[in-house]
Amino acid sequence: MTQQPLIDVRNLKKYFPIKTGLFNRVVGHVKAVDDVTFGIHQGETFGLVGESGCGKSTLGRAILQLQKPTSGEVLFDGRSVQQMNAKQLRHLRQDMQIIFQDPFGSLNPRFHIRDIIGEPLRVHQQVSAAEIDKRVVELMELVGLDATRRNRYPHEFSGGQRQRIGIARAIALNPRFIVADEAVSALDVSVQSQVLNLLMKLQKELGLTFLFIAHGLNVVRHISDRIGVMYLGRLVEVGRTEELFANPRHPYTAALLSAIPRPSPHRKQERIVLQGDVPSPANPPAGCRFHPRCIYAQDKCRVLSPELVTLASEHQVACHYPLEALSHSEVI
Amino acid sequence: MTEFLIRRVLQSLLVLFLISIVTFGLIHAAPGGPTQIFLSPGLSQEAGRIQAHNLGLDQPVYIQYVRWLGGMLQGDLGQTFKNNLPVSEILWPTVQNTVILMGVAWLFAMLIAIPWGIYNSTSEYGISDQTASMISYIGFAMPVFWFGIMLQELISIKWDLLPLSDMYTMGKEGDMGDLFMHLVLPVSVLTLGFLASYVKYSRTSMLEVLDQDYIRTARAKGMKERRVVFRHALRNAMIPIITILGLDLPILVAGAAITESVFNWPGMGRLFIEMAVAREYSVLMAITVITAVIVVVGNLIADILYAIVDPRVQIGRKGGVSS
Repeated sequence: MTQQPLIDVRNLKKYFPIKTGLFNRVVGHVKAVDDVTFGIHQGETFGLVGESGCGKSTLGRAILQLQKPTSGEVLFDGRSVQQMNAKQLRHLRQDMQIIFQDPFGSLNPRFHIRDIIGEPLRVHQQVSAAEIDKRVVELMELVGLDATRRNRYPHEFSGGQRQRIGIARAIALNPRFIVADEAVSALDVSVQSQVLNLLMKLQKELGLTFLFIAHGLNVVRHISDRIGVMYLGRLVEVGRTEELFANPRHPYTAALLSAIPRPSPHRKQERIVLQGDVPSPANPPAGCRFHPRCIYAQDKCRVLSPELVTLASEHQVACHYPLEALSHSEVI
Repeated sequence: MTEFLIRRVLQSLLVLFLISIVTFGLIHAAPGGPTQIFLSPGLSQEAGRIQAHNLGLDQPVYIQYVRWLGGMLQGDLGQTFKNNLPVSEILWPTVQNTVILMGVAWLFAMLIAIPWGIYNSTSEYGISDQTASMISYIGFAMPVFWFGIMLQELISIKWDLLPLSDMYTMGKEGDMGDLFMHLVLPVSVLTLGFLASYVKYSRTSMLEVLDQDYIRTARAKGMKERRVVFRHALRNAMIPIITILGLDLPILVAGAAITESVFNWPGMGRLFIEMAVAREYSVLMAITVITAVIVVVGNLIADILYAIVDPRVQIGRKGGVSS
């Protein structure tokens, strides 16, 4: 794909200052997102995976400018989002939306459902109350909710229904790009697949572009065209979904993949168990950030931080000693 | 709703009944009695006993209580021991005076503190916020009698700008301008007291709400910050603020005994202190009961207001207030 991506993230960094003492002296930074570069094409679903605290959500929010990035650039359809003023940015919110992880906290308990879903319309478009109501009914039906319940409050809905409300809200203005920030991880497994299928249906019908953030690879595999693996604020591997699952080149990706339970008891498979905990993002290890937990780590890894380099078509890895590509007979 | 109100009124009556028993018992258990205060020292023991008998003070406490309760239920607050004046005649003017003083201070504090607190929540640790913190600490830490006396010393005595005390200048009773001048100092003292907590409460309450996920949702919708703060945050932040306002409501009538004493304000707080010293049981009981009624009513009002601002609080649907 040579066309320009819809979302182009360049060297994005988001550091949170650590303040201490009487005068709030800044003693360091939590490097939640540290120099991340990638792109998402129109109509594509990009899955972003990584452990808790690796900076996935921060990355998603920084792209949408819900948290101001420390440095780097985000281009939306070729336009720099950073350089926009508050008004332009508010305007851009019509085109880029987010579905939040927590279906309980992210809906204002004092608002009727019709107001939660309809408010973006009222704020961004000059439409009559009757038209807003009509659109709210449409949206609720689109996400599989009973539209007669639009005059109810969020607490009267279940978790899955609330997540649907969040989705209806996010697509109310026909955005082009949606960040789904762990949109299903707070839900029961049975409801998870419903919501995932809904998102895929909506993508097909509305031509949406997704950044799908999750901590489990299996959920992401189901929905994504391409996957990015994050570790301690960095992207360590990016590739097409099938390729990444078949041929993980980064030891961390391989470890994540080996942790997915398989439904067959007969198939023995090697489980790569990572030793130790994720280091603190306030004080990441020198060199490759994964080296203290990597079984293949060499001297070079302890000193030099690897860049994300393209190994095969659309397959990028940040590793000095990437794993061998498996022959196809070994593919799961 | 009606069911809820009836239940609450019945509960409240029970509470009031218990309060009256406890206070009646406590007042009578206190050492010394009215006879020792108002009888002239020269009076013979026999004469004292006759006096006490006439006032019913020689009866057992429970008989006295039943008599008092009987009168109360018929709307009779009783008479004072000393000049045999009807209690209501002493009480009502002081209630009015207190409501004027406290009401002005309370409204004033509310009108300043809530908008200020909201503003400070949007610029945490800014200059305005730090100033408010400083004023709150001063307000909490400084004893009101000391602050009152200092104001009198400086403004009334040294600079002679405002009247020292009382509600009106002698001979100018009912003059609004004169009343206003007399209000300034005590209202300043009381406003600072209210303000200290209200500004902190509204700020903290707002900050807590502004940190919620749904506020991020509101921002993600692309709304103006003003709309986020007032439409989304404020409605959620109002509950704790209403609570604290509701809890302070009784003080508006019960009065601030210390401030009223310092400024010689003829209000209920000062009356209570005077009457406690004089052992005027019927006045003390009347004040206690009135205060208790207002506390109960204030709580009821706060509960009803919760239901208005918070849809999750449903009154009467599943029996009482549930959330």
